[in-house]
Amino acid sequence: MHYRENAEMLQKSKLVLGDGTSLDDLIMRESNEVSLRVMTDEELYHLEMDKIFAKTWLLLGHESEIPEPGDFIVRDMAEDNVIVARSQDGEVNVSLNVCPHRGMRVCLGEAGNKRIHQCIYHGWAFRPNGDFIGAPVEREKMHGNDVDKKTLGLKKAKVHLYGGLIFATWNVDGPSFDEYLGDIKYYMDQLFCRTDNGLELLGPPQRFTLPCNWKVPGEQSGSDGFHTLTLHRSLMEGGVMGGTAESIYDQAPGMYGVDVSCKQGHSLRCLEAEKTFKMFADVPFEGKSTRERLELLTPPGITKEMIPELFRNLSEDQVNQLATIPPQVGGMFPNILIAFIFAPRTDGGSSGALALHTYVPKGPGKVEFVNYIFAEKDAPEQMKRDMLQNSVQQTGTSGTIEQDDADVWPVIMKNARGAVSKGITLKYQALHGHERPEGWVGEGLLYPGFTKDDTQWNWWLAYYDLMDAV
Amino acid sequence: MTWKTKSTAAPDSTTILRGLVSNKRVALGSQVYNRILETLYDEAAALDERRIDDWIAMIAEDIIYQAPIRLTRTGPNRDRDVMRTMFHFDEDYGSLLMRTGRLQKSAWAEDPPSRCRRFITNVRIAECETPGEYEVVSYLYLERSRGDSPENENTTAERRDVWREVDGGYKLARREIIVDQSVLGMSNFAVFL
Repeated sequence: MHYRENAEMLQKSKLVLGDGTSLDDLIMRESNEVSLRVMTDEELYHLEMDKIFAKTWLLLGHESEIPEPGDFIVRDMAEDNVIVARSQDGEVNVSLNVCPHRGMRVCLGEAGNKRIHQCIYHGWAFRPNGDFIGAPVEREKMHGNDVDKKTLGLKKAKVHLYGGLIFATWNVDGPSFDEYLGDIKYYMDQLFCRTDNGLELLGPPQRFTLPCNWKVPGEQSGSDGFHTLTLHRSLMEGGVMGGTAESIYDQAPGMYGVDVSCKQGHSLRCLEAEKTFKMFADVPFEGKSTRERLELLTPPGITKEMIPELFRNLSEDQVNQLATIPPQVGGMFPNILIAFIFAPRTDGGSSGALALHTYVPKGPGKVEFVNYIFAEKDAPEQMKRDMLQNSVQQTGTSGTIEQDDADVWPVIMKNARGAVSKGITLKYQALHGHERPEGWVGEGLLYPGFTKDDTQWNWWLAYYDLMDAV
Repeated sequence: MTWKTKSTAAPDSTTILRGLVSNKRVALGSQVYNRILETLYDEAAALDERRIDDWIAMIAEDIIYQAPIRLTRTGPNRDRDVMRTMFHFDEDYGSLLMRTGRLQKSAWAEDPPSRCRRFITNVRIAECETPGEYEVVSYLYLERSRGDSPENENTTAERRDVWREVDGGYKLARREIIVDQSVLGMSNFAVFL
């Protein structure tokens, strides 16, 4: 059963655009369709900035980027530029990179270490936690005659660290991070909270821009598994995934598994390695215990030496899942893609690739693709080196998988501009419906079998919920 | 000429952009200079004309082919803006073969292919310590036409190469591509630089 199957229960949205189009005309919950117009509409984009990007939790980086007090990076929460800095007390702070004096950017570099961030325009100065220190020529009170300095700090966002990942939100009184994650946390923990020392970002992220709306890659991050067979056909042709070039649709490697999702719009595709990748097809997993399975094939990014860490940090059920049907790809609403994949190499290795992307809106027709590449901190140097190469060769700027995505998205965007084309709907009507597989332990909305549209539709429902909220 | 890859995201691992390391310059207009310049033009033509096998034939099997990311820095670190811990390309011979092999099949990013022009200028050459190897620094200006878009994508970079004399010709043994954009304006690097 789909979690909102009963159409009679649906209340009409009060959100109506200037031309009378309502949210229900764009996101058609009764027929599971989305109007292509959502990709180009300027008014909708500005509403999204207020209702989604100024409200929900957003990923800004990893704390391994700013190990020392004073270390900072500059990132974007949609079109709001922020300073992410570690203060003297060791805390991670996120503050708006906009000087409250005249609106200039306070910090112009992308990364570095500073105890004081001083605006180059008139010299107002701030601490790494955003607190106002003062304006030059203190005796003249250039910060204001009767203004309390405490009110002049940079605007601060609420911060949450999850497995070292830095999340922030402007919605200070809004849902906690755990409420935001919901039932998917059980599965996400298997990726982000599984080792003693956690993940390490291998370098500052790759950044590049695409001429398309953020929702074009966004809806795909809702675990679109199906596109892999056709768009990423070269994975099968190159012998990475199972099957041969002739049998791609018959064998459909990587299509069968368990897709997990939740009403917050996050999702993950859990896949058995032996049914996905050619090189693991003959691994004798039959009748093996969790520990034996882990010894035969460690999850992406994990070494045999790190297996005891999994048992220390996760529940037995979580380790069992990681050993049998680990989460591989998915996303967090609104704009995060997760790829923690086995990534078999041409030289026979398979140390894995761990990458996260954010799709940062830069206007209705532009998105910045930010690609974060990770390894486990405890992994040996050579493995980190291999994993960096795997990720660079398969994801992001030049990645042979994602080059093809980057080629499709701008074309969809071009189409969405046509007077007739914009009335075309995106169809999410190949639905499985929630079904709990036998013996499955985790919670959430579960879709076993062939990957279908359910998780992506849940992504749109999460979108609807935030846009509809007053 | 080698460079070490450190695995850390902390900004203190940035390094400065530098051109030629060796001071044994190969004079502009000398025979070696002319022949290497000709090789760079031949390489650009092979890539622009999508004669990928011809390009691979110009590559040494121990190649390191990397494009580090570029950061925006300020203050005392303003010149330390090349981040050699993270790359847009991080390739060896095997992975270049994987990439070029893919182009013969379903690589939709280059099917239909881009129409590219690689302009190579500001070529400076010096002798490496190993006899027969030359440091070659060049500027790359790439114009790339995609589909029916009348606006080209483009990018600029400095390339720091090592070319090795092999059988009377030259093979590319190292290439470090230093892009100028911290945020690339090109939607992918499905083409070689």
